[in-house]
Amino acid sequence: MKVDFSKLQTLYRGQDDFRLREIDCGIELKAVCLDTMIDDAKVSAFVLQPLAYVNNAKNLNDVYKKLAAGTGVRKPPNFFSAVEDFVNGYTLIFDAENNCISVDTRTAVGRSVAEPPTSMVMRGPREGFVEDIKVNLTLIRKRLKTPNLKTVNITVGKYTNTAVTVCYIDGIADKRVVEDAVQRLESVKVDGVLDSSYLARYLDVSKTVMFRRVGSTEKPDIVVGKMLEGRLAIIVDGSPMVLTLPYLFVEDMQSPGDYYENSTMTTLSRSLRFVSVIASVLLPALYVCLQVYNYQIIPLRFLITVLNASEAIPFSPLSEMILVLIVFDILREANLRMPSAVGISLSLVGAIVLGDAAVQAGLLGAPAVMIGALSGIGLFTLPDNTLILSLLRLLVTFIGGIMGLLGVIVSTLAIIVYLASMQDYKTPFLAPFAPDIPQDRQDAVAQIPVPDMANRPKSIPNNNGKRRG
Amino acid sequence: MDKNRVSIDQIALLYLLLIMGGKFLTLPSLLAGDVGHDSWVSVAFSFVWDAVCLCFLLWAIRINDKAHLDISAILDKSVSKPVSKLLLAIFFVVFVLRTNVLLSGCYKMFSVTFDVSTNWIVYVLPIAALAVFAIVKGFNAVARTSQLLFGLILIAVVALFVSPLSEAEFGALLPIGEAGWGNIIWTSYSRSFWFSDYIFVYFVLDGIKIKKHVFAPVLTSFAIGATLSIVLNAVFVALFGYLAPDFDMAMSKIGVFSAASTTNGRWDWLTLSIWLLSVFIKMIVFIFCAYKCIEKIFDKNFVKVNWIAVAFVLLTLALPMFVTTEQLLNTVIKWGIIPFTLVQYVLPLLMPLLTKTALRKTEVKNE
Repeated sequence: MKVDFSKLQTLYRGQDDFRLREIDCGIELKAVCLDTMIDDAKVSAFVLQPLAYVNNAKNLNDVYKKLAAGTGVRKPPNFFSAVEDFVNGYTLIFDAENNCISVDTRTAVGRSVAEPPTSMVMRGPREGFVEDIKVNLTLIRKRLKTPNLKTVNITVGKYTNTAVTVCYIDGIADKRVVEDAVQRLESVKVDGVLDSSYLARYLDVSKTVMFRRVGSTEKPDIVVGKMLEGRLAIIVDGSPMVLTLPYLFVEDMQSPGDYYENSTMTTLSRSLRFVSVIASVLLPALYVCLQVYNYQIIPLRFLITVLNASEAIPFSPLSEMILVLIVFDILREANLRMPSAVGISLSLVGAIVLGDAAVQAGLLGAPAVMIGALSGIGLFTLPDNTLILSLLRLLVTFIGGIMGLLGVIVSTLAIIVYLASMQDYKTPFLAPFAPDIPQDRQDAVAQIPVPDMANRPKSIPNNNGKRRG
Repeated sequence: MDKNRVSIDQIALLYLLLIMGGKFLTLPSLLAGDVGHDSWVSVAFSFVWDAVCLCFLLWAIRINDKAHLDISAILDKSVSKPVSKLLLAIFFVVFVLRTNVLLSGCYKMFSVTFDVSTNWIVYVLPIAALAVFAIVKGFNAVARTSQLLFGLILIAVVALFVSPLSEAEFGALLPIGEAGWGNIIWTSYSRSFWFSDYIFVYFVLDGIKIKKHVFAPVLTSFAIGATLSIVLNAVFVALFGYLAPDFDMAMSKIGVFSAASTTNGRWDWLTLSIWLLSVFIKMIVFIFCAYKCIEKIFDKNFVKVNWIAVAFVLLTLALPMFVTTEQLLNTVIKWGIIPFTLVQYVLPLLMPLLTKTALRKTEVKNE
């Protein structure tokens, strides 16, 4: 295949990092690379040094054979492929007839593998993905030493030409799901992909407004665990977050450390997460509607305490609770954007000083502050969906405050119907509870010991239901 | 995915919720008014008829397993189009009336129990919005919702009638049959409007996924639902005795005898609220079926939601603004009992035969 050298030169004319070197090794060759993207040592070791000993090459094919001793030498099939290699840090070698070979001389500048800050664990592996797609693939391959680990490479982004790799285990993953995901990725028309979350939106089949439909994790052990259940992993160059598909709501309740702990403890902690999420969404709404409409439900002593505490509050119970929830969300948002050292102080100031001051000043009642804080903290058991659940909580509280229990019941049912209707990649979002898949309940809220998990989840389409089959 | 496809297990659980959703509002007091402390016997008789019809309907589902004909196709091919349309129209009326009776019962419960008085439109709007949302999302989403909630609702119902058991005077249920067996059987017929909750199955006939068993899961659900309803009626009469007809919101009144007191708070109202989820699910299902009736009456297959049909169904929810529930029960439902019986009790018995006939005609046409 011919690659027009002059066209490439025109494209990069005037660029300071464009390097051109002419080499004579029996035939006249031109080696070009982008100085900012290459590793000088690699250029020297894999291109210049081998060519220095060649002086009788008849054509580029001879050079190719000589360089093939090095890794990552190939013949780009067309001009676009050559340019893609070039911008990724490959060195292109041209002969006078515009034949071209590319040699991998990419620089390895980037973070080294470390424990991801978003998924700290007490037990279990501490390695985390980095921004380099090659390193990330290595981290997966290191754990999946099987020829059945297959990859599909795609380039996405008109200007960023971001490398994307879809990984799956042949024989476990459902091919139709792989094809569907690859097709979706190939059809993405976008200027640039700066992080995997860009692609997550394109992979969301039903274009959900709320709740994320694609899993993401920074830990290779989690990705491999999910791939062993039939899911695919999507690695995006430049992003330490690897996407996984298909995705279930129950995955939000599972923590990276769950599989390295005792299954009874895991069951207990997952149950706590479930209860805290449900309580977080419903507690403020129930508090408001019980206080406004159905105070008979509250035990007398507690009712007296609540009434005494909120007697002098200038706001209605609904506005008081909405205010508390909004203040809590503001604090959380500020805390996220603050440098970590200041963030801790701010949370303390916000939680203790602001809350206490508001109660002392008679602006907010202590029970409302307590319920708001409890509800806010409970949401953090689902870190990825905190914002959306916070929004739902505000909505349910508002409806409950206006319509009482009727509003709470109707809004809760609407949320459940909405969640139950979601199904991407032939996987119901609320599985294994709705629809009920008894086999999959072994690792949903309750977890049976890992040696007893003989089957792969039925809710995830797969070609091999037996784990050791 | 066909968003209206459901599995037989989902049908079973949905049916259980539907049984529990409609029997504990005004029905126990109405029955107590008719036959006194024998109301639970009357309920038991109604469930015997329901059981027979349910078995025939399940048989029809099994016959229809491969062909997946819908109710309209079965009726069109077996009893002619005009009769089919007439039956579907009766179905529509039954669903609309049952939804309205449930809505009125809930409205009364909210105003009496929860001291929340509001006008009918403000009360109905959120429920109507929820029903429309469910229609848009598909019947499968409703069925899945029932799978998610049934355990919670079941616990709430059991908790509601178990807690006041120590106060119940079960001796008040004796002698059995005091109201006269003829009277009891007549009451179970005249109040049959509240039963035969399986009629929703007609409108998902074409989308039922059958695995191994058809009868076992549905009949198990039916047995649980029927037992709970009979026991609740018995507990209600055992608690209130001859005053039972005056306490028309059975479920909320039973809680008076529970562990609740001014010190502990009316925690039973929270369990009552959980049980109300089943009432709302029942209303959603019936509104969905009414919508499907329109689709089938006009020989349409709405791929997308037809907003005219939805609007028409929702308009019927304004009925209680013009007619009280008592007027409805004493006029329309009283006189409509014969056509209603036709679709509730006669049609299920004929369904296996009608389905076979329809299948035979379909095969002949295909050949």
